[in-house]
Amino acid sequence: MTDLASLYGQKTLTVPSTGPGPHDAHVLAGINRILQEALRASTEEELGRLCLEVAEDLTGAAFSFFGERRESHDRLDHIAISERGWAAYHGSDPVFAQRQLPNGFNIHGIFGQVILQDRSLIVNDPANHPNRVGTPKGHPPLHNFLGVPLRRDGETFAMFALGNHPTGFTERERAIAEELAPAIVQALLRKRAEVASRASQRRLLTLIEGIPQLVWTATRNGQWTWVSPQWVAMTGLSVEESLGHGWLAAVHPDDRDAARRYWEGAGEHGDLAMEGRLRHGQTGRYRWFKTRATPVRDDHGRIVEWFGTSTDIDTLRRLRERQETLVAELQHRVRNILTIVRSIFTRTVENGGPIDEIADHFRGRLDSLARTQVVATQTRSGRVDLENLIRDELLGVGAIEDDRLLIEGPDVALPADTAESLGLAIHELTTNALKYGALRHSGGRLTITWQIEPTSNSECELIVKWDETGVPAMPVPPVRQGFGTELIREALPYGLGARTRLDFRGGGVLCVITLPLMSDDADAPNRSTEG
Amino acid sequence: MNRQSPLADKRILVVEDEYFIARDLERALRAADAIVIGPVATLEQGLSLAETQPLDAAVLDVNLAGERAFEIADRLSARDVPWTFLTGYDEWALPAAYRSAPIVAKPFQADRVIRAIGALMPDKGCA
Repeated sequence: MTDLASLYGQKTLTVPSTGPGPHDAHVLAGINRILQEALRASTEEELGRLCLEVAEDLTGAAFSFFGERRESHDRLDHIAISERGWAAYHGSDPVFAQRQLPNGFNIHGIFGQVILQDRSLIVNDPANHPNRVGTPKGHPPLHNFLGVPLRRDGETFAMFALGNHPTGFTERERAIAEELAPAIVQALLRKRAEVASRASQRRLLTLIEGIPQLVWTATRNGQWTWVSPQWVAMTGLSVEESLGHGWLAAVHPDDRDAARRYWEGAGEHGDLAMEGRLRHGQTGRYRWFKTRATPVRDDHGRIVEWFGTSTDIDTLRRLRERQETLVAELQHRVRNILTIVRSIFTRTVENGGPIDEIADHFRGRLDSLARTQVVATQTRSGRVDLENLIRDELLGVGAIEDDRLLIEGPDVALPADTAESLGLAIHELTTNALKYGALRHSGGRLTITWQIEPTSNSECELIVKWDETGVPAMPVPPVRQGFGTELIREALPYGLGARTRLDFRGGGVLCVITLPLMSDDADAPNRSTEG
Repeated sequence: MNRQSPLADKRILVVEDEYFIARDLERALRAADAIVIGPVATLEQGLSLAETQPLDAAVLDVNLAGERAFEIADRLSARDVPWTFLTGYDEWALPAAYRSAPIVAKPFQADRVIRAIGALMPDKGCA
């Protein structure tokens, strides 16, 4: 109503001496109706029809149209044709039956003069008017015409025109139409702004509700004032439950203090950012989110509210943690194996002998460790197949599996550290057999067998038996005091909890290694280390 | 009895799951006249010794066949027994509570471990 007052307050003071003026109750009611209906109309066209209906009612015209000049100024498009107008056109042309507004009219003829001359125009004898160009196909016969320009910022941008008054248009009708004009402009522009704003809001809302972030607004002290549907869907908290400080209920208890501090620091400085865990409503699991907030400022630069987003970084964070774990494990393994190599080197040198023999021994042990490392790091599980471990060791020294060599046992997938020690033990036994035992003497036989025996509960034992026969009796072989003996008799029991037996019998070496195994180590060469 | 080793007659616990590393440590400590408690390879054995043995200091490997030695460290701290980690892990890979703990990095040289253990124990001032 304030619009009405501001628009017409002035004019009501200047009452024209003749004809109806703005003081006319019917005209004021019409203006009022136009401004009121403008709020309700959902489109410009609907508003335009309403304006035309008011104008027809007040002037007694039979039909009317409402048109707007294009940006290029050279053509006129229709905003609306009145209901009575459509009815008059109806049936003459199928295009009109579909109520498609005719567009792109040349600005000429009688109606064109309203825009070109920028003034209202009454033509009661259109057939003889000098500017007449005739009517479009399907247009009802035109007996008389009243056109009124519509101005915005003093410039004519549109017009409306009334046709076929029963007795012809007079100054009275012109005055009424001119009084209506500002209200029509006002209503049109308001509707236009409203439609644009609604479309822009819809776009913004589609964007806000379509992005994968949780979106919210808050006042300066962290009191939330709005939350997006994504927040509700993720946390399971309703909008009402989340407002104010209610959102803290979704924050992990350990992160709540940090979240509060976050807002305490949200004074006058710029953007905020923090990482914290939010509870997933459906599963009850906490996920990591990165939360950022940007201040919304008024014209004076003061912070009015905060606009925030919370982005799910849980997967990213887990990957990062996993990567850190992998790097740490890699460092641990590399440094540990170097320490072991260093220690083995020291022992190999301490055992003495000619330098090329020491070098051979050390090289052999290093190769054995390297083979196990390569196999262990080739599989995702980091496990090593026992049979392959043994075969690789023997093939490495040129032994051939024939009737003098038997390798037999079930599938066993060894953890890397077990494989490392066991592989080294097999290496020492192989080296010894090659130098003094079954692999050296033509009558020697070597049988390597293993089996898995359940012990208690989920535990079981792996029993590996190295059995040489047919070796001529010989004096104490060097392995008895050396690295290999210490490895089998002491290192395996120490590191793997194994029980070992190492006999230097007449006929060859007998070695039995019994080591505890998780029962799922058997028959699971591809078992993952995760889970 | 001057020029005595700072570790002489000190009871040092060694927890390390790799046999050869454990033996090297043992040898180095004995050479410095220390009394070696252990070495042991598992968390369980380490905890048992940490709780029952009179100790002056300890050397702890962090990764004991997949288990972590932190519980042993906590028991030792509760008994005011100083300890150092001997590990291939960097500080950042340890839980926050242990990041400022003394660490001897693997691979190590024997005399560095001996010095590090010596530094753990305050000089009791041999009168």
